[in-house]
Amino acid sequence: MQIIIVFTKPSYYSAYTLHPMKIKRCGEMSRKLRFLKEQMLKAAISTSSTQLSGTSLDIDDLEIKLGELEVELTEGNANNEKLQRTYNELVEYNVVLQKAGECFYSAQRSATEQQREMSADQPDDSSLESPLLQQEMLTDPSKQVKLGSLSGLVPKEKAMAFERILFRATRGNMLLRQEPVDETVTDPLSGEKVNKNAFVIFYSGDRAKSKIVKICDAFGANRYPFPEDTGKQLQTIQEVSGKISELKATIEIGLAQRDSILKNISSEFDHWNNMVKKEKAIYHTLNMLSLDVTKKCLVAEGWSPVFATSQIEDALLRATVDSKSQVGSIFQVLNTQESPPTYFQTNKFTSAFQEIVDAYGIAKYQEANPGVFTIVTFPFLFAIMFGDWGHGICLLVATLYLIIREKKLASQKLDDIMDMMFGGRYVILMMSLFSIYTGLIYNEFFSVPFELFAKSAYVCRDPSCGDATTEGLIKARPTYPFGVDPVWHGSRSELPFLNSLKMKLSILIGVAQMNLGIFMSYFNAKFFRNAINIWYQFIPQLIFLNSLFGYLSLLIIIKWCMGSKADLYHVMIYMFLSPTDDLGENQLFPGQKLVQLVLLLLALVSVPWMLIPKPFLLKRQHDQRHQGQQYTMLEATDESVTELEEQHEDHNEEFEFGEVFVHQLIHTIEFVLGAVSNTASYLRLWALSLAHSELSSVFYEKVLVLSWGYNNIIILIIGAVIFLFATIGVLLVMETLSAFLHALRLHWVEFQNKFYEGDGYKFAPFAFASIIEEED
Amino acid sequence: MGFLVTTLIFLLSGGVASLLSLLCCNRGPSTNLFHLTLVITATVCCWMMWAIVYLAQLKPLINPILSGE
Repeated sequence: MQIIIVFTKPSYYSAYTLHPMKIKRCGEMSRKLRFLKEQMLKAAISTSSTQLSGTSLDIDDLEIKLGELEVELTEGNANNEKLQRTYNELVEYNVVLQKAGECFYSAQRSATEQQREMSADQPDDSSLESPLLQQEMLTDPSKQVKLGSLSGLVPKEKAMAFERILFRATRGNMLLRQEPVDETVTDPLSGEKVNKNAFVIFYSGDRAKSKIVKICDAFGANRYPFPEDTGKQLQTIQEVSGKISELKATIEIGLAQRDSILKNISSEFDHWNNMVKKEKAIYHTLNMLSLDVTKKCLVAEGWSPVFATSQIEDALLRATVDSKSQVGSIFQVLNTQESPPTYFQTNKFTSAFQEIVDAYGIAKYQEANPGVFTIVTFPFLFAIMFGDWGHGICLLVATLYLIIREKKLASQKLDDIMDMMFGGRYVILMMSLFSIYTGLIYNEFFSVPFELFAKSAYVCRDPSCGDATTEGLIKARPTYPFGVDPVWHGSRSELPFLNSLKMKLSILIGVAQMNLGIFMSYFNAKFFRNAINIWYQFIPQLIFLNSLFGYLSLLIIIKWCMGSKADLYHVMIYMFLSPTDDLGENQLFPGQKLVQLVLLLLALVSVPWMLIPKPFLLKRQHDQRHQGQQYTMLEATDESVTELEEQHEDHNEEFEFGEVFVHQLIHTIEFVLGAVSNTASYLRLWALSLAHSELSSVFYEKVLVLSWGYNNIIILIIGAVIFLFATIGVLLVMETLSAFLHALRLHWVEFQNKFYEGDGYKFAPFAFASIIEEED
Repeated sequence: MGFLVTTLIFLLSGGVASLLSLLCCNRGPSTNLFHLTLVITATVCCWMMWAIVYLAQLKPLINPILSGE
């Protein structure tokens, strides 16, 4: 049903236009929160949700507080950055002073010496150290050159190129001295740690200087002034190291302050985050409301489950009291043409099964829910493919572990696969229980049979038992009462017997489930009072399926009961090819030929029965309704204009006969072909269950029994370990997955396509819990 | 134990389970119907499985031939 809730306008919403503003504010707040979170991540402070905030903040207070915090943090960060940069520069300067000092002096001394004692003999070592300068001096000794110097740091990987470019640019009129710095230094610009070389450049002339400066900038080489005289130099070094220690202390204090702020935030962060999320969601929802004509109250239109009506009324009443409003809210049921959303109440047991169905499609409103049968038939079909009570017990133990520790695991964050297993724990529980049952029927415990319920029905033909391996045993006792006779296991005729049994089992189960699906379509049609669907869809479908495959199932059962050797393939094939021929030795019961003729005719008749009448009847129905509604339109003058328009649109909907007919044609072809292909599809039950039992018997015999035969404890242990891993890896994990997927397919396609439309949409109630969860 | 006796046992256990579900967790007609559906479907499934395997072994067309060691 659709409801309308009319709220009186609470005083603090001074205008409707406030909501976009509010949402913007919430967005801004969540941006600030994200910023804070980033800062906390940078500072490696994790949010601790342990402290449930004692101080309850108003959302407005929170906004102010967040703003303050953001400003404080950004300012702190900017200051810190500035300080850090200065600090890095000073550190570099310090390095330059130390490193460059050495080469500066050796180079300069030699240069000045050369200048002074040009004519005198020179020491060899200095000439080696400054060949370029020396050359210049030698070629032009009379010219008095003023030497300038530049010093700084250049990244190590660029040093070679730097040197080359400098050389080319100044045509060799400079001296570069480089000295690698041992430890990495932090680059003040990028803030990254890099290996650098300290350099000193000597040059002559202003033009050379400007060139060199440009080159330095291009290479990211930071220049630092280098005092030439020693006294100044010492003073600078002292000054720099003093500044460095000062800055270090300042930076540390700044960081400590930031950390303490962030720590304070971290304890409250989750609380604030949730608060902002809730606030945002509330305003989003409020924005969907509309103002009524008087502009004095807000109107909310929405869906609610019928059973929740009184709860909603209570909540509204409470809200009125809490907000001290003079006028209460009005709660009114609204009639509408729209189709309501679908809401199935589920609990922790049924929700996973409902999800299996919902993954295919959400049920149309009030459509029969296949989830109810899925709870039993899904694990049952799984178990037919996974029949082994040893493996079933393993699954049961695993899932019981999940179920017992349910509360603990539910509060934890699990990884993807565990989360999936945990979500489907009750599905796995049912699957394991049914596996144990079908395992008992198949009489397989890790592929080993047990004589649990009685002695085997088969005995030797004679006391010597000589022909047991050639002629076989003979049935002397009553049939094994529960499940497959243990004697079959390991016998030479095991496969032919099990193949025949499991193939027929698949067909019988399949036909039964498809019939269930068709009957569900009857209940759907009955509920929606759709007589056309009952008479022209349900009945011919039922007849068609059962006159072919229902009959086949009947033949299978008759054959078993009579122990007849009739060939059922032959019977079924010749029922179509030459229905009037005599059945001969394949006859199972008297009058079978007549029955087959009648069934064949019924099947042939039911195809046009499905196809032709329904479109015509639909057209007639539409025409009748069309006429009828034209009268009501005139009557409905007091209704609002919009509603009239809506109805008008409905009227103008043309009945496309061709389209409906093609749709019905497709539907009929799909059903007729589907009856064959779906029945064949159920044979996957046979294939998978056979594969499972063969695999497990291979693992048992070729690994465990074989290693046992060696009479060696080490080989036995190795064999047991291999068996264990093969059983867990292949049988318990992979086989479970494949059987699960095949059971899923059988439900989605073979079962649900008989009745389930699944074109509805889900009921999505507003809840804080889901809002907080979804963004995490 | 013949076919009918075991079928009767299935029928009885299904009936008992339905009764138990009605008595133990009686939570309104809709939930009861749901529980009954589950119990009946499960019983029918289990019975079908058993019956098929039982009937298949009633009058064997092939006999087990032991593999010679």
